[in-house]
Amino acid sequence: MNASVVNIAAVSKSFGAQPVLDGVDWNIAAGKVVGLLGRNGAGKSTLLECTLGLREVDAGGVTLFGDPVARLSDATRARIGYVPQKPELFEWLTPIQLLAYFQAQYPRWNAAKVDGLLTRWGFSGNMRRKPVGIMSVGEKQRLSIIRALAHDPDLLILDEPVASLDPAGRRDFLRELIDDVIERDTTVIFSTHILSDLERVALDVAFLKDGKIALQSPLDELLESARRITGPSAALSALRFADEIRREPGAAGIVSILARPSVTEMAALGAEGSRLQVEALSLEDLFVEVTK
Amino acid sequence: MAAMTSHPATLFSISTGSPEPIYRQLIDQLRRLIAAGQLAPGDVLPSVRDVAQTLALNPMTVSKSYNMLETEGLLQRSRGIGMLVASHRGRARPAGERERLLRPTLARAAQEARQLELDPAAALALFKKILEEDL
Repeated sequence: MNASVVNIAAVSKSFGAQPVLDGVDWNIAAGKVVGLLGRNGAGKSTLLECTLGLREVDAGGVTLFGDPVARLSDATRARIGYVPQKPELFEWLTPIQLLAYFQAQYPRWNAAKVDGLLTRWGFSGNMRRKPVGIMSVGEKQRLSIIRALAHDPDLLILDEPVASLDPAGRRDFLRELIDDVIERDTTVIFSTHILSDLERVALDVAFLKDGKIALQSPLDELLESARRITGPSAALSALRFADEIRREPGAAGIVSILARPSVTEMAALGAEGSRLQVEALSLEDLFVEVTK
Repeated sequence: MAAMTSHPATLFSISTGSPEPIYRQLIDQLRRLIAAGQLAPGDVLPSVRDVAQTLALNPMTVSKSYNMLETEGLLQRSRGIGMLVASHRGRARPAGERERLLRPTLARAAQEARQLELDPAAALALFKKILEEDL
């Protein structure tokens, strides 16, 4: 079960003179649900597109289920589901026609699931005969998700899948994802800025920064271990942590350190007493700190 | 024998955006509910699947909480029924194992005591006093 489903090795990609990915190494084991985090423009979509072979890389390589991504077998291709950031659907087709088109491409197709999702997600009656082109962005996004889940994929790659959905729609989507993970141990890569969704489903998080995976960790362990330590530079300049994420000099000789102190290092901090402020951080605070 | 009380998944509520991981929030809620008597020995907890679906959580997060409380002896797994509130709190595990659970906390306390240059007798006296305060 621990074979890696996605293997990304030293992948680099530039657009003109602008490097976006700079030697990304990233491994994702079967059954993992990983959240991909990064600032706008950090290259998350580019990384996901390179992972799927939708963009050629300048250097490095990607394998999915052991197949090089440039030469995916039909069988491997059928195991992958993808929700792009912008739904790319044939605008002149109705939902029923669109799904029939995709059904013909896949050996496995869960018609009962598709029908249930269409009904529950607002595609009943006339909606099933409405061309995609005149749907709202949220409706297109829901349809794009149904399409990606329809063939019971073993690997799901979701690029901001719920940006246009309201909170109730997002909750429906999370429940569907959880069902899939429970039933079939699906491997999921999930890029989103809606951190509350990520906290609910992702067991691991990875931060993309400066073209690399800057930090990857089980989310629980990260929340439990990461601390922001603030204090006068006189007290902090001599302190070093084995797992220090960043160190930032602030105004008036105050230094701020983001680190994952060990038990011994924590005790040493405790001994410093009130000179230092030591805080646990939420995922949102961590996002701001790590991607600075 | 009295009928078993089963609790729905709405027993739990979690908040995102907290520095406290969700599995910890679930553990703390269960501890509180048991301490307050809202969950009685023998009560049946909602299944991992139910909690995951109701709260929209990864099922692994829910099972992590249940498993940790089972290791502690607060919950007990019963075949065919699921997870129950343990009937004899603390007695479910042998003393040696319970001591092992306490050891990391005490090791940290010992380290801090040394850093504060407290002599062992004073530290032990303090611990004894704290133990008795709670009775």
